[in-house]
Amino acid sequence: MSAEATPEALAVVPARSTVRRRRAPRRLPHGWALVREILFYLLVLIAVAISLFPFYWILRTSLESNAEVARGVGGSNGLLPSHLTFSAYSNDFNQQHFLTPLLNSAIVALGATAVTVVVASLAGYALARLPIRGAGAILAFILIAGFFPVLAMVGPLFLLFKELNLLDNIYPLIIVYLVYTLPIATWLLKNFFEQIPKDLEEAALVDGATPLQALRKVVIPVAAPGVFTAGILAFILAWNDFTFAVSFLETPAHFTAPLAIVNFGQSQFQVFYNRIDAAVVIITIPIALLVLFAQRRIVSGLTTGSFR
Amino acid sequence: MSRRWAKREGLGTLAFVVAAVVAAGCGSSSTTKQVDASANQTIVFAESGLGTEGKQTQAAIEGFEKANPNIKVSIDVLSPNSTTYLQQLQQRFIAGSSTPDVLESDVTYPAKFAQAGWIRSLQSFNPDMSQFFPTEGAAGMYKGQVYAIPWFDNPEGLFYRTDLIPTPPTTPAQVVTDAKAAMKKDPELKEGLAFEGDKYEGAVTSYLTTVAPFGGKLVANDIDSTGNVAALTWLHEAIYTNKIAPEAVTGWQEGQVQEEFTSGHTAFAINYPFVAAVAAEGGPAKGHTGLIPFPAGPGGSPGSALGGEMLAINAKSTHSPASYKLIEYLISAAVQTARAEATGDPPSLPAAYTQALFAKAPYFKQVKVLNQFAQPRPVSPSYLQISAYLQSALSSVYANASSPSGALSTAASQIKTLEEG
Amino acid sequence: MSAHAQPAARPVAPPRKAQRGGGGQARAQRRLGYALVAPVVILLLAVTAYPLVYNLWNSFHRVNLSIANQPRSFIGFDNYTKMFGSSEWVTALERTAAFTVVSVFLETIAALGLALMLNRNFRGRGFLRAAILVPWAVPTVVSATLWKTMFDPRAGFVDYLLGGLHLPGATTTWLAGVWTSWAAILVADAWKNVPFIAIILLAGLQVIPSEVYEAARMDGASGWQSFRRMTLPLLKPALGVALIFRTLQAFLVFDVIYIMTGGGPGVSTETLSFLNWQTFLVSTDFGYGGAISVMLVVISLIIAAIYVRVLRPERVA
Repeated sequence: MSAEATPEALAVVPARSTVRRRRAPRRLPHGWALVREILFYLLVLIAVAISLFPFYWILRTSLESNAEVARGVGGSNGLLPSHLTFSAYSNDFNQQHFLTPLLNSAIVALGATAVTVVVASLAGYALARLPIRGAGAILAFILIAGFFPVLAMVGPLFLLFKELNLLDNIYPLIIVYLVYTLPIATWLLKNFFEQIPKDLEEAALVDGATPLQALRKVVIPVAAPGVFTAGILAFILAWNDFTFAVSFLETPAHFTAPLAIVNFGQSQFQVFYNRIDAAVVIITIPIALLVLFAQRRIVSGLTTGSFR
Repeated sequence: MSRRWAKREGLGTLAFVVAAVVAAGCGSSSTTKQVDASANQTIVFAESGLGTEGKQTQAAIEGFEKANPNIKVSIDVLSPNSTTYLQQLQQRFIAGSSTPDVLESDVTYPAKFAQAGWIRSLQSFNPDMSQFFPTEGAAGMYKGQVYAIPWFDNPEGLFYRTDLIPTPPTTPAQVVTDAKAAMKKDPELKEGLAFEGDKYEGAVTSYLTTVAPFGGKLVANDIDSTGNVAALTWLHEAIYTNKIAPEAVTGWQEGQVQEEFTSGHTAFAINYPFVAAVAAEGGPAKGHTGLIPFPAGPGGSPGSALGGEMLAINAKSTHSPASYKLIEYLISAAVQTARAEATGDPPSLPAAYTQALFAKAPYFKQVKVLNQFAQPRPVSPSYLQISAYLQSALSSVYANASSPSGALSTAASQIKTLEEG
Repeated sequence: MSAHAQPAARPVAPPRKAQRGGGGQARAQRRLGYALVAPVVILLLAVTAYPLVYNLWNSFHRVNLSIANQPRSFIGFDNYTKMFGSSEWVTALERTAAFTVVSVFLETIAALGLALMLNRNFRGRGFLRAAILVPWAVPTVVSATLWKTMFDPRAGFVDYLLGGLHLPGATTTWLAGVWTSWAAILVADAWKNVPFIAIILLAGLQVIPSEVYEAARMDGASGWQSFRRMTLPLLKPALGVALIFRTLQAFLVFDVIYIMTGGGPGVSTETLSFLNWQTFLVSTDFGYGGAISVMLVVISLIIAAIYVRVLRPERVA
C-alpha cells in the first residue's frame, strides 16, 4: 500500500498522530520569534505552576504533623516543610484501612465510565447521523437530566433505594453516577460525530463494509479524541462524587474514597488535614498516571491530505 | 428495540415512580407493636464518630451485650460532620424507616425531631432527670415531656495559659488587659484571644459563652436584648478595637482555635474541653492549661455554652424497651467515666466525675464547674432556622460589615417572622 | 482552497431526506437510531424520573416535614409565588447570575488559551496535559478546603505570595470581605474547572485538520485572523458543549461556597443552590424546596436553549 493518505487507506488503517510529520525545521528562531517562543514557554511554566502548586501544598501537608499543618507558611521554613513524617500515611493504611474505599471507588468509577463510553458513543452517533424524529427533544431531556440539582435528587432516591433494598451497596451507585456522566458524554460525542465528514464512512461503505463495521473501523478511530475525552471526564466526574455516596452508603467497608477521606479526617472537632491530604496524594497518583497514559490517545484523528 | 418499546419502558417506570410517591406519602400506622425487652432481637444504634470515640462506643456496646445476651446491637456509622449527620438522620426519618432504633442527637435537635414526630416520648419509661446537671435536661424536652436523655456533655469555656496569666481574669475587661499583657510578655503569641468566628453553628456557641457574663440570655423572642448586644460588642471590639483577636477568626472553627492554643499562639481561647486533652499531649500549653467559665461582668453571671450529645428513640422503632435499656446502660456512671477517660467526652452525670477520673485527667474538675453554668441555645423546633439567622448576623459583625446592634435586631425581626409564619 | 474556509467546505451531514435506498432504508435507519439512543434515555430516566416527579408534586403541595402528621394539601402555585416574592430568592438569583457570567467568561478565556497552548507541539506537552488534569483528580471537598486554607491570612499561601512580591493586599482576610470572598471562590472554582473546559476545547481543536491552517498561512492570513475566521467557527461545537455545561455547573455551584464561606460573610455568598440546600435541610420545607429545585431546572433549560440558539452550527445549503 502506498504511503499516500487516500480515503481508502484511511478507512482501514486506524488514524495515528500526524504530529511527527509536522515538526518544524530545527533552527533557532530569532528576533520577535525568539521573544514569542520565550513568552510561550513562560506561559507553559505558569500554567504548570498554577495547576501543580496546590498539589505541592497537599503533598507537603500530608508529610507534616497536625500542628505544623496549622502553621502553614507561617512556620519557620515558609514554603518548605520543617519536618517530614509519614505518620499520616501509616495512619491512613493501617488504622483507617484506606485500601478498601479506594477499591470501592475504583470499581464504581470504572463501571460508570465503561457504561458511559459505550452508551454515549452509540447515542451520540445516532443523534449525529441517523434520522431520528424528536432528536431535539431527546437532547433536551438528556440535558435536563444532567442539570437536575443533585440536592433535590438525594432525598427521593434515598426513599426509592430504601424500598428496593439497595442501600449500603456500591453497585447501584454506578447507575446513579450516570446522571453526572451521560449528559456531557453524549453531547460531546454527538458533536464529535457530527464533525466527522461523511466521506470517510461512505468510502468504507463503498468498499463493502456494513454500517456497523464502518462505525467500528473508520468512525470510532477517528473519533478517538472525543471518546477518550469523554472517558476521562466520566471517570473523574464519577470518582469525585460525595453527595450520593454519603447518602446511600452506611457501613465503612462500603464507603467510597471521598467519603472515607472526609470521615477519617475528622473527629468531632478536629480536622486532620495531614491524613486527608495523604489520602488525596494516594488517590491522585494513579489518576495522574492514568491520564498521562490516556492523553497520548487524545490526538488528532484526521490526517493531512484526506480531502484531496 | 423499537421506539414504542422504549416509550412503554418509560411509562412503566413513570407508573412505578408515581406509585412510590403515593406510597411514601401515605404514613404508616401511629401505634406500632413493641418487641418485649427480654426477647431476642437486634437493635440499630446510629452514631457518628470513628477513631477513639467509635472504639469506645464499640467497647461500651460489647459491655451492654454481655449484660443483655438477648439483645444484639448493630452500629450505623454516620458522618462525624454534624451537618452531614443531620442530613443522614433526616433522610432516614423522612423515609419512615424503623431503624435506627436508638440515635445520637445533638443537643439542639430533639425539639425539632419531636415536633416532626420522628422520635418518641420517653416519659413512659420514667427517666430520672434529676440525676443530671441542671441545664442539660431542658434541651431534651418538648411540650413538657422528655424526648432525649443527655449522653455526654460539652460545655464551652475560656481556656487560658496559666504560665502567662497567673491569676485568672474575673471580668471581661480584665480578659482584655490580661491578653494585652500576655502578648507583650511572650513573643510566641500571635494573638491574645482565639475564638470560632466562621459562619457555622460553632460561632453561635462561642458567642453564647460570652452572653451570660453581660447579663444577656439567648432566647428566641429577645435576641437583641441589651446584654446580648453588649456581648457581641465585646467580641467585635476584641477584633477591631482592642486588637486582641485577629481578623482571621472569621475563618476559624474549633480545630483551628484548638491548634492556636495548643501550639502556643494564643493566650486565651474559647473552646470545648477536648482542647485540654490535646494540650496535655505536648506543646507550649502542656501543664499550663487553665479552664474557667467566661468571667462575669457587672450584673452578669459566669458564661458557658452547652453542647453535647443526647440519646433518643425512633418513633417508628419496634424495639423501644430494648432501646431504652441501651440508653440506660450508656448513661450509667461507670460507663460514662470509662468513656471520659478514653475519649475526653465529659460525662453528663455528676456522679460520673469520680476521684479516679480527676486523678487521670485533672481538667475534668474544671469541666464540672463549667457544667453548672452551661447555658443552652434556644430550645425550639425551629432552632436550625434561628441559628441560620444568628450565624449570618455574627458572621456579618465579625467581618465588620454590620454593627452588633444592627445585626442582632435584623436577626431578631427575622426570627419573629419565623415564629409567626 | 480559499483562506476563508467555512464549515460549508466540509460537509457536515447530508440533508436528512436524501438517503440512499429511499424510504425503507430511512425507516430502518430511524429504528436503528432509536435503538441506539434508548439506553441513554432509559438509564437517565431510571435515575431522574422519581426525583423529578417527587419534586414537581411537592412543589404544588404544602409539604413541611417538620410538623408531624401534617396533611399534604394542594396549594397550587403558592410555593412559586412565595419564591418569586421573596427577596432572599431574588438576591440569591442575582448573585448566582453574576457569579455565573463572570466565572464562565474568565474561565473560558483562560481555558481557550490553555487549549491553544496544548494544541501546539512542544516538548513536555504530554506532561502539561497530565499536569492540568491533576486539579480535577482532587475531590471538590478537598480542593475547596485546600483553597480555604490558601486564603487564610496567616497560614495561607496567597497573602504570603502577595507579600513576597510586594503587591498590595498582602494582609487581606479574604473570606471576611464580600468582594474578596467572591474572588477567592472564583479562584478555587477556576482552578478546578479551567482544565475541564480546556480539555473539551482541546479535543475540539484536534478535530480541525491541519491543512486548514496551512491554507490560511499560504493565503497570508495573520495568526489572529486565522484564529478568528477559521479556528473559532470550527471550534463552535466544542465551545458550545463546554459553555453549556460549564454555565450550568456555575449556575448550580454549591460545594465550594458551602465549604469556603458557608454563605458568608453575612449572606453575601449564598447562591440559589445554597438556598435550596438550606430549605431542604434546615427548614425541611420540601414543598418550597421542590419549587426552588424545579425553577432551577427551568432556568437551566432556558440557558441551554439560549446557547443552542446562539451557537447553532450553520446548516449546509
